[in-house]
Amino acid sequence: MSNSLIKLENIKKVFYTEEVETHSLSDITFTINKGEYVSISGPSGCGKSTLLSVLGLLDTATEGKYILAGQDVSNISKSERAKIRNKEIGFVFQSFNLISDLDVEENVELPLTYRADLTKDQRKQMVKDALEKVDMSHRAKHFPSQLSGGQQQRVAVARAIAGKPSIILADEPTGNLDTKNAEAVMQLLDKLNAEGATICMVTHDPRSALRTGRKIDILDGRIVADKTTATKKAEGTFTPAAKSALIEEPSI
Amino acid sequence: MMIMNDLKYAIRLLSKKPGFTILTTLVMATGIGLSVFLFSFLNSLIFKPLPFENGDSLIQISASQNGVWKVGTLNLHDYYEIRTNLKNLAEFGSYKNVSLNVSGRDGARRYSAVAAEPNIFQLTRTKPLVGREFTTADDQVGAENVVVIGYDVWQNQFSGDPKVTDQSLRINGESHRIIGVMPEGYFFPISAEMWVPMREDATRITRGAGGNVFGLAHLQNGVSLSDVNGELAVIMQRLEERYPKTNNGIGAYVSPIPQLAVEDGAPVVRSMQFVVFLILVLASINVGNLLFSRAIERGKETAIRVALGAPRSRLISQMLWESVIICTLGGIIGFLVMIWGLEVTEKTLISFTIDRPPFWQTFGIDSYTITLSILFVISAIIFTGVLPAWKNSGSDFNAVLRDGTRGALGKKAGKLNRRLVISEIFVSMTVLIAAAVMLVANFRATNADYGADPKNILTAQVLLIESKYDTPDKQTQFVKTLESSLQNNAGIGDVMISSALPGVVTATPTMALEGKEYTKDNGYPRANYIITTPGSLEKLGVELKDGRYFNSSDDGLDKKSVIVTDSFVAHHFPNESAIGKRVRVVELDGDEPNWLTIIGVVKHTIQGSPIEEPGKTPSVFRPFSQAPRGQMTVAMKIKTDVEDVTRTLRQTLASIDSELPAFNVELYDETISRLTAPMLFGAVLFLIFGTAAAILASSGIYGVMSNTISQKTQEIGVKRALGAVEERITKEFLMAGFNQFLWGGVPGLIIGCAMGFAMSQMFGMGSADLLFIAIGLVIVIGGVVMLASYIPTKRALLMEPSAALRYE
Repeated sequence: MSNSLIKLENIKKVFYTEEVETHSLSDITFTINKGEYVSISGPSGCGKSTLLSVLGLLDTATEGKYILAGQDVSNISKSERAKIRNKEIGFVFQSFNLISDLDVEENVELPLTYRADLTKDQRKQMVKDALEKVDMSHRAKHFPSQLSGGQQQRVAVARAIAGKPSIILADEPTGNLDTKNAEAVMQLLDKLNAEGATICMVTHDPRSALRTGRKIDILDGRIVADKTTATKKAEGTFTPAAKSALIEEPSI
Repeated sequence: MMIMNDLKYAIRLLSKKPGFTILTTLVMATGIGLSVFLFSFLNSLIFKPLPFENGDSLIQISASQNGVWKVGTLNLHDYYEIRTNLKNLAEFGSYKNVSLNVSGRDGARRYSAVAAEPNIFQLTRTKPLVGREFTTADDQVGAENVVVIGYDVWQNQFSGDPKVTDQSLRINGESHRIIGVMPEGYFFPISAEMWVPMREDATRITRGAGGNVFGLAHLQNGVSLSDVNGELAVIMQRLEERYPKTNNGIGAYVSPIPQLAVEDGAPVVRSMQFVVFLILVLASINVGNLLFSRAIERGKETAIRVALGAPRSRLISQMLWESVIICTLGGIIGFLVMIWGLEVTEKTLISFTIDRPPFWQTFGIDSYTITLSILFVISAIIFTGVLPAWKNSGSDFNAVLRDGTRGALGKKAGKLNRRLVISEIFVSMTVLIAAAVMLVANFRATNADYGADPKNILTAQVLLIESKYDTPDKQTQFVKTLESSLQNNAGIGDVMISSALPGVVTATPTMALEGKEYTKDNGYPRANYIITTPGSLEKLGVELKDGRYFNSSDDGLDKKSVIVTDSFVAHHFPNESAIGKRVRVVELDGDEPNWLTIIGVVKHTIQGSPIEEPGKTPSVFRPFSQAPRGQMTVAMKIKTDVEDVTRTLRQTLASIDSELPAFNVELYDETISRLTAPMLFGAVLFLIFGTAAAILASSGIYGVMSNTISQKTQEIGVKRALGAVEERITKEFLMAGFNQFLWGGVPGLIIGCAMGFAMSQMFGMGSADLLFIAIGLVIVIGGVVMLASYIPTKRALLMEPSAALRYE
């Protein structure tokens, strides 16, 4: 039985405007196995967020094949995509994207309410478990505006894991946070991965990238490197920033 | 300098988006223009004090019937009772409207005039321009006949001769010495051109022999109209107990003369003012919302200004200038359109009356209109500018700068938008129900069936001179002579003579039905009492439903036959034939009951406004020869042309009696049009208000909701990322829209229906009509809300979730 969770083959994404045709992704091919902790890095505008959108079925590829959990999701309908997003994928966004009108508990419960197969009690239990995992149970009745950035992101992580998805897709999860809060969120993701969660994270931050087991580098919409971080460390193929981060890497 | 910079910046922003600027300016022009127009119109029509010294305290005492304010005259003796017992009024006077036939070398002419107590001019603090006013000596029975003439009569008949007081006029067959000329523009109390002493003294005549008058007086200082009306109610109650036969259901009320035009339609007038005020509120909400949305769009720019040290007052000032420009421009455009509207209105109102319109009705720019316009513009600026500016300038700009997300600002904006939508739904529901009730009532009135065919008929009024035609035989003989003379003329077809043609308001005396007992609590019913020559009803096209029309066998003072309308039968003889039943006119009975046998039933004829009580009152017709009178309307089928028939009528009248003029000569269908003109005017007015309200409300609701949902695009993206299917999101937003519809619609429905109910009572509309209107508007406004939720949601769902997440 195959261990692969995500399989991309020759994915292309082209944006069309009236005058310009922008190739955001070209010939992207890679596989993510269950339990892997992958980071996608690259400079601004290189296409990493577009790649994450395609991975998360938030956008469709112009060409190529995408297999998620053994199912070809390249050409499925909008409603099927929604169902798969709901069951298989958990999102963590840079700007948290919590619904300001809902309290913490309701925010975490939100994706579960889109499932018909869960009873209210089951949902409540899953929300409770998720909030406990991120250590936010004590803030269940607070609204997002009453929380710090770090706390909001922890709630966002709880929302991502509440439905026990196959993979967590995180888009610059520490981008809006200070060092202390960023570290806490990263520790949370590390812990989730250690417990078996598959995580794919887009990040600018070399230190965050170093914590993952595998690092995919993208430049101008193409994969320029796809190596385990152990290999990278051994090869010494890190950018100066990554090197400095490596030296200062805190022990986890 | 700073202000100039802010002003320039605001102008630059507005000129960058001309579509937005034109739209918001036109919305404000509509709101301000319509509201100022109606307030100014109503002020000129009914609220402005009469243009005399102490004009604001001058009131008229009129009779009411069964609690309904109806401009009716008071029994002279009742007036004396009121005058003796009412403590809160001063300077009593009385008058009655009369028509005067003035004859001279060039023929006879009729003038609108007033027979009044000697103090009529003192009540208005106006002295004659030439000559003198009345004295108590002039008012004595047997004194020399005198007359005071109006400025126009003086100019037209006497070429402004300063020695006019040396001359006489032959009025109603008798010579009257001219004692004075009133100043230009003086037509008190409404449109009088001549004034004669009334010479009626209740102390010298019996109650039954007294005439009917209107009372006049000044309010004492610090006394309100309701105080006086309360006092009057007690006096009239006492009179009703003392004279149950004549005073059953008769009351009295005081009102400033201009307000008499609306009788007890004050709730309708207030509703109209409320409706246009709400239209202004709607316009302000719409523009305020658009400006607020722009402010949100510029949130980042504002945040940068704050970061650079801009004080909050500067931010408010910058945002406020846009409102100032839009509301001022809108106000100016609205003001100009309103002036045009008032000019059109003045011309239209002149067509409502065959005489001159009430003298105080001058429409145009006055201090009230200018003050109100400025006040409305300032209110609109505050409403559209200050609140959004204050709200937006106080947001958490650090959050905006830090992460570029909507964060707390989005939530605040969302709350405000929800409130705006609820307010819009509430206001539009209220406005549209009120407007629809008035629109439906007025259109119905315009298209009402008056019960006669008015086509190709010329009508004129003739008033016999009392002193000459002082017996029933003389009056009957005159009518017979006139009818046969006209009938023999080749240019005239059928001739019909009646005290009031269908459509025209007439007297409604109390009636009694044989075999029915009347107690005080179950008072005598009233009916229109119309005198008509045999054949007239048939020739006018009043449809016979049962029995027969009048014929020559009904002629004679000793005959006692009547025809009633089917509405009379339905009311008094349900499920049985009325033919052969007997009725009597209580007020006209002598010592013995004078029973009249019903010989025919005709279709209901509307006598007066179809939306008011007189229009629904059943009628009783009586042959002219059984109850002759001095006032009549002559109707002639035109065989040739109007001028020819008019000339023939005048010549025929002159050949019978040279002192009798034909007056109010006009086509019958013009009479009906004139009678329905106010209703048509009202219908058009409310069509404009209703349309403006509907457009403002629909566009406003759509605009605010669309804006709200647009601001939630990111939220839609998040929900889709979390796996929500499109149907679920659509349902969610539709439910949110429905929720807002309930919050605004239910209170709007309650208040709108309460207003609509009050108005429908006035207009005689049934509850079913109101229910139909309410249901219709619930569907329309509900539909707008649902569409306003559905379309923007669908638009947001067309985006890929990734795009929605990044949507700014």
